[in-house]
Amino acid sequence: MGEVGTLAIGMAFVVSLYGLAAPLVGLGLRRHELVRSAVNAVYANALLLAVASTALLQALLARDFGNAYVASYSSRDLSFWYTVSAFWAGQAGSLLFWAALLAGFAAVVVWRHGHHRELMPYVVATLMATSAFFTGLLTFVSPPFARLAFAPADGSGLNPLLQNPGMFFHPPTQYLGYVGFTVPFAFAIGALATKRLDDEWIRATRRWTLASWFFLSWGIIFGMMWAYVELGWGGYWAWDPVENASLMPWLTATAFLHSVMIQEKRDMLKVWNLVLIVLTFALSIFGTFLTRSGVLSSVHSFALSSMGPLFFIFILLILGVSTILLVSRLPALRSAAELDSLISRESSFLFNNLILVGAAFSVFLGTVFPVLSEAVRGVKISVGPPFFNQVNVPIGLALLFIMGVCPLLAWRKASPRNLSRSFLLPGALGALCAVVLLALGISHPVALAAFALSVFVAAAILQDFHRGAMVRRSHGEPYALAAVRLVARNHRRYGGYVVHLGMILLFAGMAGGAFSTEREAVLTKGETVAIKQYTLRYEGASTYPTRSALVTAATLTVYNAGHQIGVMTPQRNIHKTHEDQPMTEVAIRSTWREDLYVILAGLGDDGTANVRVIINPLMMWMWVGSVVLTLGTIVAFWPERGEALRNRARYVVEGV
Amino acid sequence: MRALVLLAATGLVLAAAAVPVHGADRGPAGEFMCQCGCGLTLANCTHLSCGPRDAALAEIARLEGQGRSRAEIRAAFIARYGEGVLAAPLRRGFNLLAYWGPYWAIASGALVIVALAAAWARRPKTMPAAAASELTAEQRERLERELQALED
Repeated sequence: MGEVGTLAIGMAFVVSLYGLAAPLVGLGLRRHELVRSAVNAVYANALLLAVASTALLQALLARDFGNAYVASYSSRDLSFWYTVSAFWAGQAGSLLFWAALLAGFAAVVVWRHGHHRELMPYVVATLMATSAFFTGLLTFVSPPFARLAFAPADGSGLNPLLQNPGMFFHPPTQYLGYVGFTVPFAFAIGALATKRLDDEWIRATRRWTLASWFFLSWGIIFGMMWAYVELGWGGYWAWDPVENASLMPWLTATAFLHSVMIQEKRDMLKVWNLVLIVLTFALSIFGTFLTRSGVLSSVHSFALSSMGPLFFIFILLILGVSTILLVSRLPALRSAAELDSLISRESSFLFNNLILVGAAFSVFLGTVFPVLSEAVRGVKISVGPPFFNQVNVPIGLALLFIMGVCPLLAWRKASPRNLSRSFLLPGALGALCAVVLLALGISHPVALAAFALSVFVAAAILQDFHRGAMVRRSHGEPYALAAVRLVARNHRRYGGYVVHLGMILLFAGMAGGAFSTEREAVLTKGETVAIKQYTLRYEGASTYPTRSALVTAATLTVYNAGHQIGVMTPQRNIHKTHEDQPMTEVAIRSTWREDLYVILAGLGDDGTANVRVIINPLMMWMWVGSVVLTLGTIVAFWPERGEALRNRARYVVEGV
Repeated sequence: MRALVLLAATGLVLAAAAVPVHGADRGPAGEFMCQCGCGLTLANCTHLSCGPRDAALAEIARLEGQGRSRAEIRAAFIARYGEGVLAAPLRRGFNLLAYWGPYWAIASGALVIVALAAAWARRPKTMPAAAASELTAEQRERLERELQALED
């Protein structure tokens, strides 16, 4: 199967090059059969990369250790699901995964969006250019089917850090997000090339953008969950360069999702929207560049390879071509409308965009600053969590504030009546929250601001929703029915509101981190350690083998205010294939108020246990917020009644 | 006036940047990067047994035992490991670009938005000639009413 896989990847590279050249040459020579043949190339590319992916999966499951990739990332004791996940655990496999996803997306695009006849040749060329880059890397730099001189009896196995359910969810969702942004980028290039600069490309890719944003959001959330339960330091975000690299496109994509509404409603911000999607795509590739270039050290990095410069050139190419096209089309991109007032929903969207892009810039600057510092001053510095928290927390608070202001302002120009009517209640509730928290003794300024702003935003959203439902109720509908129909009439708006509610919960969970407390203790059998209202008694340790590791577990009985509430068993595991790398398996007890997080830091020869106990307030709010975010995205994604009809009518009119 | 209010609000947010932000204070161990390559601070290094971390933590304990202040411990660590040991760069010289660059960028963007909005708001609007309305007075009144409700 290895030869089949190699052949399929090589052919996919050739087919991708054909898919890039054929539509452009076809348009130039006015040979439409060439343009049409590019569509077939897209389908062929998808088929070939599906064959290559199947071949790699087969090699992994058949334990073909003669394959260098299989020998490096799997072993005989690895369970079925982790063996499957080894597909994207290494450099070559993850590149193949990326290329296969892109090929699949490209096939769906040509299948579903064929009616955008003028845009499609350029869309196909852009998608195939990206595919040619990735299949080229797989063919010439990092082939996944390279053979070893002799096949070892067993493989090196999967890094124990990767042996977590997160491995099955985090990379695929992250990649779905990154790869998905290729589609709106390709349509943007198509719009620029054809000078069809109205909102056609935005309407065509609205769901692609939303889905990509959703997957990237979940990629980040799964990554946070994984870090929280697996890495064992009590946190979920370490501002590692690669974590930052996933946050940057998320921030610019979030800005894009908001600003496209201004173009659709007011025909404004055309240049800005194009800039945002180009940035989002380039930043998606930048994340991949960081993991593979060795420019910055990261826990996520793959083995060092010669790929870094190639990714860098590809990013420059993306930015260069986009900039040339954008500059050449500037006269045609003039907005048909202008801001009527600074106090309007349009301007609040602009400020929202400014803060989101400012946050992305801040993260970018912090991430590359060690390289900049070394280049300018010749001094190697580190930029870690204290720096990022210092710089980004105020920006996050500003974002939270603007999230509450946006829905309260009227389009075009907000009247004083509109302002007082809209801000009075949410503002008062936010202030009340701050006063109550101060009275309760909570004086941490950032947490106080975050909680007060969260209440302000939630009140603003619920007030807007309530008013909409009341308008319908005044026409005779019962309140519940009015509320449901209100959402049904405008999925996008109210789905967005639900997403904002999810974000508030996420913010509140993050703010809870300001109050985390921890204790470390060395305990002999029967001894206790107390932290806040909890007392943990060490009952002893046990060691037992599992299929892939030797597990040592400490048993701790947990008391809450004197009442026994359960038993926790933090572990320390030594994996057979990575004996030099003992792993912690933390024990977590979650409630809506806080997480009790216990790490077994070490076991002494005399039977003592070194435990670290952390209380993380409001952690569950973050995970609940993530679910709420999902619900909101589903509502926003759901097609509205009559939407298909409106779109069809638009094409008929345009066709005429 | 409104522009001034908005600018003031932006200024307030930016001023918040000057306020140090601390999560759970983990002492000096939260200020220094672990030298084992984990990319985390000494307080967060995830390795179960980590020579560089344990040596650095012992050094901190020794200095604290001698009654050294946090600033003195910081100076001792910089002298021993170089500036790269700090988890947040020193707030001076070129490093100020990292601390203030994002705020300068956001403030500049805010100024551009305010200036553009002010310029556009002052510019007389060229309205296209309205087509003869085919709405009845009653329909027009209902439209106005519903638009007002929507606006509110």
